[in-house]
Amino acid sequence: MPLDTSAYSLALLRVDGRRWNELRRIHAQIRTQAAADGSSYLEMGHTKVMCVVTGPSEPGPRRGTTGGAAAGASKAAAEVAVSVVVAGFSSVDRKKRGRGDKRNLELQSTISNALAASLHTHLFPHSVIQVSLHVLSQDGSLLAALINAATLACVDAGIPMTDYVVACTAGSTSTYAAGDESADPLLDLNHQEEQELPGLTVATLGETDRVAVLVCESRVQVGRLEGMLAVGVDGCKQVREILDRVVREKGKRMVLEGTVVKGEGLEDMDLD
Amino acid sequence: MASLKRSVDSDPFAANISSKVYVRSTKSGKVQKIVREVYLRQDIPCSSKLCQSCLKATPRDAAGRPIPFVLSEAPAGTSVFTQGHYLVPDTNAFLSAMDLFEQSSAFYDVVVLQIVLEELRNRSLPLYNRLVGLTQSEDKRFYVFFNEFRLETHVAREAGESVNDRNDRAVRKAVAWYGEHLARTKAKKIPAVVMLSNDRDNLRKAKQEGIHACSLAEYVKQLKDGDRLLDMIPETQDRDVIKEKRPNELLYPEYFTMSKMMTGVKSGLLHQGTFNVSPYNYLEGSIRVPAFPKSLIVPGRENINRAVDGDLVVVEVLPRDQWKEPSTKVIEEDAITRNENPDAEGGGDDAVSEKERKALQEEVRRTHSKTTEGHAQPTARVVGVIKRNWRQYVGHIDQSSVSKSAQQGRKQDTVFVIPMDKKIPKIRLRTRQVAELLGKRILVTIDAWDRGSRHPVGHFIRSLGELETKAAETEALLLEYDVQYRPFPKTVLDCLPKEGHDWKVPESLDDLGWRDREDLRHLLICSIDPIGCQDIDDALHCRPLPNGNLEVGVHIADVSHFVKPNNAMDTEASIRGTTVYLVDKRIDMLPMLLGTDLCSLKPYVERYAFSVLWELTPDADIVSMRFTKSVIKSREAFSYEQAQLRVDDASQQDELTSSIRALMALSRKLKQKRMDAGALSLSSPEVKVQMESETSDPIDVKTKQHLDTMSLVEEFMLLANISVARKIYEAFPQTAILRRHGAPPKTNFDELANQLRVKRGFELSIESSRALADSLDTCVDPKEPFFNTLIRILATRCMMAAEYFCSGTQAYPEFRHYGLASEIYTHFTSPIRRYADLVAHRQLAAAIEYEAVGPGVRSRGRLEAVCKNINIRHRNAQMAGRASVAYYVGQALRGKTTEEDGFIMKILSNGFVVLVPRFGIDSLIRLRDLAEPEPEATFDAENYVLTMSGSKELRLELFQKVRVRVMDQKDETSGKRGAKMEFVKAY
Ligand SMILES: [Zn+2]
Repeated sequence: MPLDTSAYSLALLRVDGRRWNELRRIHAQIRTQAAADGSSYLEMGHTKVMCVVTGPSEPGPRRGTTGGAAAGASKAAAEVAVSVVVAGFSSVDRKKRGRGDKRNLELQSTISNALAASLHTHLFPHSVIQVSLHVLSQDGSLLAALINAATLACVDAGIPMTDYVVACTAGSTSTYAAGDESADPLLDLNHQEEQELPGLTVATLGETDRVAVLVCESRVQVGRLEGMLAVGVDGCKQVREILDRVVREKGKRMVLEGTVVKGEGLEDMDLD
Repeated sequence: MASLKRSVDSDPFAANISSKVYVRSTKSGKVQKIVREVYLRQDIPCSSKLCQSCLKATPRDAAGRPIPFVLSEAPAGTSVFTQGHYLVPDTNAFLSAMDLFEQSSAFYDVVVLQIVLEELRNRSLPLYNRLVGLTQSEDKRFYVFFNEFRLETHVAREAGESVNDRNDRAVRKAVAWYGEHLARTKAKKIPAVVMLSNDRDNLRKAKQEGIHACSLAEYVKQLKDGDRLLDMIPETQDRDVIKEKRPNELLYPEYFTMSKMMTGVKSGLLHQGTFNVSPYNYLEGSIRVPAFPKSLIVPGRENINRAVDGDLVVVEVLPRDQWKEPSTKVIEEDAITRNENPDAEGGGDDAVSEKERKALQEEVRRTHSKTTEGHAQPTARVVGVIKRNWRQYVGHIDQSSVSKSAQQGRKQDTVFVIPMDKKIPKIRLRTRQVAELLGKRILVTIDAWDRGSRHPVGHFIRSLGELETKAAETEALLLEYDVQYRPFPKTVLDCLPKEGHDWKVPESLDDLGWRDREDLRHLLICSIDPIGCQDIDDALHCRPLPNGNLEVGVHIADVSHFVKPNNAMDTEASIRGTTVYLVDKRIDMLPMLLGTDLCSLKPYVERYAFSVLWELTPDADIVSMRFTKSVIKSREAFSYEQAQLRVDDASQQDELTSSIRALMALSRKLKQKRMDAGALSLSSPEVKVQMESETSDPIDVKTKQHLDTMSLVEEFMLLANISVARKIYEAFPQTAILRRHGAPPKTNFDELANQLRVKRGFELSIESSRALADSLDTCVDPKEPFFNTLIRILATRCMMAAEYFCSGTQAYPEFRHYGLASEIYTHFTSPIRRYADLVAHRQLAAAIEYEAVGPGVRSRGRLEAVCKNINIRHRNAQMAGRASVAYYVGQALRGKTTEEDGFIMKILSNGFVVLVPRFGIDSLIRLRDLAEPEPEATFDAENYVLTMSGSKELRLELFQKVRVRVMDQKDETSGKRGAKMEFVKAY
């Protein structure tokens, strides 16, 4: 087994060889499933998720997978219904999570609220935007990966939105108990770091500093929180850049392939 | 459809990412495969001060501070690498010779590879911690190079390559890279990069690849004090010296394979247990296994088959006709194997030497000649060792094993080391410094014990100093009982309050420290402790209430306020587990600043405390109780004697004295209640060594006096402990830290009960602690007041040890504290000197919602680990304390001879053990010491009578009072000074 997170102080290197302010490799694809309204696949390190968006559409007969209350579909704005399915093989212990799992429900409602903040749902009254997320592999920062994948799939589905909702995690190099005020903040935690160190998930609205989601489930001294948050917000900006590049490249290719006609909205794109 | 598969070339990072696969098995036996990402990079510096290119690109932390470079620009050279060198040891080098790397004379500028650190951590956590300690020491210049993360030194495992081979290759690759990398610095003198390994294959490959590599021995020989260091290299590593032995030279039976043992144990044919050596006979061991009510006997060298005291072994029970009685004879190793030649190993010899055979035969004859079949006990032989419990042993070189030439020259010689612990066999040791080490206390370790060698082989670690000097003997004692006595490291001291001794309870009640704290400064609180006590854990108060009841408070130092969970200080305290008290020295669990000042409930100053407050009726029944964090101001710190004088002096009528009197009255009632419930009053001979204040030389030994004030404090501490135990168990039924004392198995008392019945006609009933307490009360000899105490001392030795445990691991009935006759118990009252109490404090604080429930309170696994450690520490501390008293008793007797009364507490066929209450020591007197030639003796085992004839006519029996001459004596073979007894007369 490798060293644990306490080895950071030896050479300022994390358990997987990263520095404190480095993201893991992010690999993303959009329109992975042609038949869907919108789809995406995203890897943050070994955390691998995929997303399919259906809608906005009229609410059909009630399906079991809902984020919010399905009955609310008759409201003035579209409902964002999120379902998260965690594959049994996604984690080392291969534990299966049931549909009603508390953690899942929490993930679903967090993602639903985050998306609703950016999507222009008021344009689609009486309808549902169904976001289905599948977790294929888990290695930390799950919520962040799910938010990022959902954003990409919504872009693919062509749902108008204010800006990307981008997320990443931030942590701190020493435990709460160590009480080390000068601990370095860490960007983008992997599973081992999430287990051993305090951390939070932050999502921002595009490049702005507007925080859409902030989840912190571990104990950490308030003095360290500011640094962690700053690193997290900064990481979100990097994530946005990466996602944006993925979207633009895909768009470029689609135009070249003639899948779509170069429209007015794409005028500012470089095509070579 | 777009494929989910990622094409490699589209990913710019792909070349720099590798993954590592680990396989681990879980507790339940499942195998898990873990895939980890590894990011390879080129900005990991070599950390040599010679290297400008790395210096420019030093990585920085979040605050922008660069990591300092470690390796010297002008490292020391050796006779081969005159230009200077950096060392790169492999895992085995650290595993086998960590002591070498801790030397101050050599081993500087060492590159510790990440892969080595990882491997070491998996193999041995203590060694890993020591190595991390070295990397943090500024003067040793140990640098951890993360070779697995550096692009150039990362090595992927090849198909068919074993993990070990891959790791060895990674080490060689890192060495090669360092060499090339340093060559590029164009410095005038480029240090050589030398791999240290004891693996032949690895060394050979390294030489093939053209990198510098040495075995530990080769390397050490290049150093100036090489000879001295050479001794510290483990024996087995020095493969050249071990000759191939032919099968007929093997002395011991081969061990079973692990799988054969496991199947055997599962099917019930073999048994697993911890091997113990008899204190009187080194050729007899015993092992307690669940399948048999009594311990199995393991007689003789061949049956013991290389097991050492404390090893976890597997045994096979012998057929019934080979069963034996436990030995009744003293057999001491040094007396029998005194003149063995350490060089003459194997050579057709048997494992059992001629003399040993003779000693054993007498035993066998005795067993066979008797018709007492019922006395034979199940007998077993060791067939394998699951886990060695070898540690470092303190001992000294057996003078008689040293050859003349070795005493003069520096030739390597093989000698025997006699461990201080008589249960440990002699250790064969090769050394070049016999001359220097003779007459010294030395620390050695056992490396191996193979079938061809009668004695285990070991290597020398370091010398503690001249035999019998106070410093050497004290250190020896601490090492023997594994007491952590190094000064507290800086990381621990950094956890102390910054104000140091100037720390005060904040004046403003709005201060954070006052949150949820009750102000009890107005109460008349005092502490009562032994004379000179500096770490005052507890204080008391008592005041009448208007309703005629009494309010009693026990106030305990609020240590958990200062020691936060999981910081360096907490970790250190949890490892130390307890403060160790020696006669002239105290090894603290917590730094002095806390123990003797900030936490200590000193008089006249305000201190934080954790208080237990009761309302008691005048009959000492509890009406109500509550717990609170508080601030107190003790009015006086009494010694037991002072408090006693004050209570007894009727003229003292002040409020404080009357409150002590009230406490005293209550404590008597509490004690009566405990006794009625069946609490045992046990006894162990306790003595106190009086020291001369100037020179701290021992001058006299006194038996400890018992004062009522001692009972007073004890009763209220027990009450507090029980109250706290109930509270934390109620709050945390799964994870409360408690202390239990198991009822002793009936068989433990078989012998004592039989002895009492045969010798005195007393019946010992042990159905319950109550019955035992009552029957112990009847064991009285009207002519001999000490007799009852003697029986209590013997009964104490039949008891189980009390132990800490985590409440979730036992059913409620098992919580019972047998000795105290309490359903539930814990330790709460001495958090300065016991870690268990500190944990209880945290749990109680969480239970009264003073602070949040921390992981230390919640996690059962962690608590179990803590309990396991503190149980061991606690026992070791007690034994160290006793050994220290024994040593000083010996010193106090030095040059004096006194006659004292003693009692025969054990009778053997060729000797007897006498306890002298005045000094609290017991000692063996052998028949051969009684007269010359050794008197003939007949031993009546049924009636515990030894009748001598021939050179001395004498009849001795168990429990008999005798007169002995006590003098000090230096045992030439064990090097120990101790009390020796000579028989004077029987009463
Ligand atoms: Zn360099």
